[in-house]
Amino acid sequence: MTVIERATLIGKRVPKMDAPEKASGKTRYIHDIDVSGQLWGKILRSARVHARIRRIDTSRAKALPGVHVVLTAADVPDQRPIGVNKDHPALKGDKVRCVRDEIAAVAADTEAIAQAALALIEVEYEDLPVIADPEAALAPGAPVINEKHADNVAMRFDYAHGDVAQGEAESDVVVEDSFKLHYVTHCCMGVSGVIAEFDASGNLLLHSNTQVPFLHKREFAEILGIDPGRIRIVQPPIGGGFGSKLDIYPFEIIAVYLARAARRPVKLVYTREEEFLASPTRQPVILRLRSGCRKDGSLTFRSVETLHDNGAYTSWGATTPFVMMQTFSSLYRVPHCKYHTTVAYTNNPYAGSFRGYGNLQATFAVESHMDKLAEAVGMDPLAFRLRNAQDPGEVTGQGMTFKSCGFKDCLRSAAERSGFLARHAEYRAAQGAGGRVKRGIGIASMLHVGGGACGTILKLDDFAHVTLMTGASEIGQGSETVLAQLVCEELGLPLSAVTVVNNDTDITPWDVGVHASRTTFIAGNSAIGAARKAKAKILAAAAKKTGVPEGELDLVGGFVVRAASGEAIVELAKLLRGLHFSDKAELVMTTHYYEPPSVHQDKGFKGDVSAAYAWATQVVEVEVDLDTGIVKMTKVTGAHDVGRVINRLGIEGQIEGGVVMGQGYALTENLVIEDGRVKNPSFRDYKLVTAPEIPEMDLAFIETMDGEGPQGAKGVGEAPAICIAAATANAICNATGVRIYELPFTPEKVYRALKGVAPKVAWRTRAAA
Amino acid sequence: MPDAGALERYAAPRALAEALELLRDGDATIVAGGTDLMPQSHSGKARFGSLLLNIRRIAELGGIALEGDTVRIGALTSISALLASPLVRERLSILAQAADQFASEQVRNAATIGGNVCNASPAGDTLVPLIVLDAAVELAAKAGGGIETRTLPLQDFLTGPGRTQRRPHELMTAVRVPLPPAGFVARFYKHGTRPALDISTISLGIGGVRRGDRLERVRVAFGAVAPTPIRARAAEALIEGRALDAAAIEAAAEAAHDEVRPISDVRASDWYRQELVRNMTRRVLAHVAFG
Repeated sequence: MTVIERATLIGKRVPKMDAPEKASGKTRYIHDIDVSGQLWGKILRSARVHARIRRIDTSRAKALPGVHVVLTAADVPDQRPIGVNKDHPALKGDKVRCVRDEIAAVAADTEAIAQAALALIEVEYEDLPVIADPEAALAPGAPVINEKHADNVAMRFDYAHGDVAQGEAESDVVVEDSFKLHYVTHCCMGVSGVIAEFDASGNLLLHSNTQVPFLHKREFAEILGIDPGRIRIVQPPIGGGFGSKLDIYPFEIIAVYLARAARRPVKLVYTREEEFLASPTRQPVILRLRSGCRKDGSLTFRSVETLHDNGAYTSWGATTPFVMMQTFSSLYRVPHCKYHTTVAYTNNPYAGSFRGYGNLQATFAVESHMDKLAEAVGMDPLAFRLRNAQDPGEVTGQGMTFKSCGFKDCLRSAAERSGFLARHAEYRAAQGAGGRVKRGIGIASMLHVGGGACGTILKLDDFAHVTLMTGASEIGQGSETVLAQLVCEELGLPLSAVTVVNNDTDITPWDVGVHASRTTFIAGNSAIGAARKAKAKILAAAAKKTGVPEGELDLVGGFVVRAASGEAIVELAKLLRGLHFSDKAELVMTTHYYEPPSVHQDKGFKGDVSAAYAWATQVVEVEVDLDTGIVKMTKVTGAHDVGRVINRLGIEGQIEGGVVMGQGYALTENLVIEDGRVKNPSFRDYKLVTAPEIPEMDLAFIETMDGEGPQGAKGVGEAPAICIAAATANAICNATGVRIYELPFTPEKVYRALKGVAPKVAWRTRAAA
Repeated sequence: MPDAGALERYAAPRALAEALELLRDGDATIVAGGTDLMPQSHSGKARFGSLLLNIRRIAELGGIALEGDTVRIGALTSISALLASPLVRERLSILAQAADQFASEQVRNAATIGGNVCNASPAGDTLVPLIVLDAAVELAAKAGGGIETRTLPLQDFLTGPGRTQRRPHELMTAVRVPLPPAGFVARFYKHGTRPALDISTISLGIGGVRRGDRLERVRVAFGAVAPTPIRARAAEALIEGRALDAAAIEAAAEAAHDEVRPISDVRASDWYRQELVRNMTRRVLAHVAFG
């Protein structure tokens, strides 16, 4: 008797399936793809921040040899506005509202010719007053930026639970501060790009870096006025997304218009400078938070007002209040909460979605106040947080139900591993002592949601090789590998037996897109569902063939085995071949569509929006140089409630990367925008964290085994970036006694704060007005 | 997209004489490592002359040699080669300190000391240590049938951002550094959040010959606080030959703070640069004096 040993891949350190290609430089990104007959597209952007376009003359550009098409808004009368508010035409005709604005586009034989043609386009502007500040945009009589929104308000959000007046009445301590969160941008190593081509029948094929191919398919169909079935989107490997590729942007539509006009494929890929100028940013926010607690440390209320700078057009950044209000209402137990956001049009660049989706901004304010309140009632920061942290089974004022909840374990684990309490006391005591370099330690936690639906098709061939067709895109986060692991676990196969197809809308089933920390959870459950159906089919066939009841069979190591003993009965590949050639020829091919058991929010933004909630606590240690203001991040200790670890190597990489992204947000990254213009569109002056600056990391995983999660897992993609800035603020305060309310903590800003010459963030809120 | 402008010709001679002959017309853009020229041409800041002259193949422009009591560093010497040279590391250690904070490995392999000097950036990383070392610039030109050379103190050679006293038909051939006397100590500091790969917000170099608790022949130099790297003469005067106690250090730091006139830009404000000058002069002086 041959006994097959059971082996599991779950929780193991599995190298990413795409790693060999990427490490050897063989991955073909959009930059590396050229299609036969292709032209190069280039976009002419506005030279002004806010102006009327008096005249555009493209005649010299059109006359340049090698130029095939030059388009302006006048050439595309069928334009439909895009964006969350449908306020954004791809090509601007009468007016420019921001330096990103696309005025004309060229398709030419080469990139150099297209570039040269742009320089030949003459544009005459008539300047309009520039509104570069959202407060100024809301002032009475302010110039109107978008004619459909005469008050310059793009959106408003209002949320409340409980009664903050009662909460305030019950408070022994109340604190209130304004916070200011800055512009940063994704800095994907793979810049934005697309190749658009129409076939002879007018069907559109897009090679696109998008994170939401199925949503885009529909949008392009609307834009072109054609059946969505005639649009196919193929995604080459994507060199980073982080939310930047979640919306549809003018450059994609312009490439389609150029291809339509030229009757040739058109490739349009950004330069790095263009990526800085014209791809979205993280949402900048001005925020006022008022919080209270009782003497015993229990929180009583939070009252929040924010002003979001919408920029000139409305993209996903305007909708970050959806996630921000969840943090204000439900990160720690808050009996009474009120939240308001005004999103104001300005002439600045617009923000999009970015890993964390407003949560970094909200957590920064909340966790600063957690430290201030703890101090005011004389509790240590950990005890104060544990006093207010939720337990499994709790339902928040916003209606979130925490089925699994490792919040307190995250707090205790991160604090214990980092020696938080002893260090916090020691550094605090040393604030007044000598020495020009001060050490500090800070703690912060986060709560994050995830959701959406996903389909899977699973095909087993006659060699028991599995093709997993999933709607979930791979953007470097490692989803291919995790999904393959989950399928292997069900079918008892090695990872090498799985091929993942996830990049072609003509093949893969529908998915809402890669965002919201959702792929492992949602696509994972979908893949498991398809694999279980396949397994049932296989075992039924095996039972029929062998006479052993289905219930006694299992799949292990490529064999159908007796579940109890592991005794091999038949090789899986052989069984499958037998099925193909039997009288009733049959293929093992299954589908599964997974929609999580969450509910949509009601009109008051309440409801259990996520099937599972992820938690994390991070402790940051810093050294602050009092002579320069330089803050050095020396160590990050993270404890993450991830439900369960599926790929240990992958999750470590994802968390390490997220920590570094959070570090950049906290310390060095700053897209400087003055009067609507981007001042530092290059890696020379936009400072990403480089390898030697990365702190030591100690990561712990809290495995709460979520009942709904695939193998118990929850989403983790966004979590690690979220509380680094908040914990850093607390660490700087622990080191120096100075609290800073504005990001990033660049040397000059910190130095000014240490010297007491930094202006406090001032903002007259609607409530105060 | 580089703007080739008036560019008509490219030449890559192997001999200095040939290069100087080509320079006689004067309308040339010189390229060695290209680490400044390439980004400048991409951003449209560099305007090409009619001739692009690649000097990388000219062996005479390489090498680091001790000539009597002068170290001659050929203009084509890469930053990596500076770091690898025992002569530089041991005798001109402040230059090695700056080279160790210069850009990335890849850039250090390509960038040359001649390029860093002739680019004349106020923030040029090798300029401050070279000024502390009293370095001079050697220039060559074709005159009549032969080659004529002249030598200028680096301080005089630099006249403004991107501007030097090099004449259009001249080629910088070397940096000449007098060997510092026994007891010479010097420190370089560059302000930034990264260990390297950063444009200086300010940089400073302090050197002198230590005699007991005194510093003699003091040099205090700053980068990125004026149109060219400068010496802080008031600060120097306050410590020259005096016992370096806390009061002297403080006085020199305040003097340095008062005599620099930095600008505000996307990297830092003028106020902050002045604060850094004071604080870091204090710290580096204490290092030089007591460290």
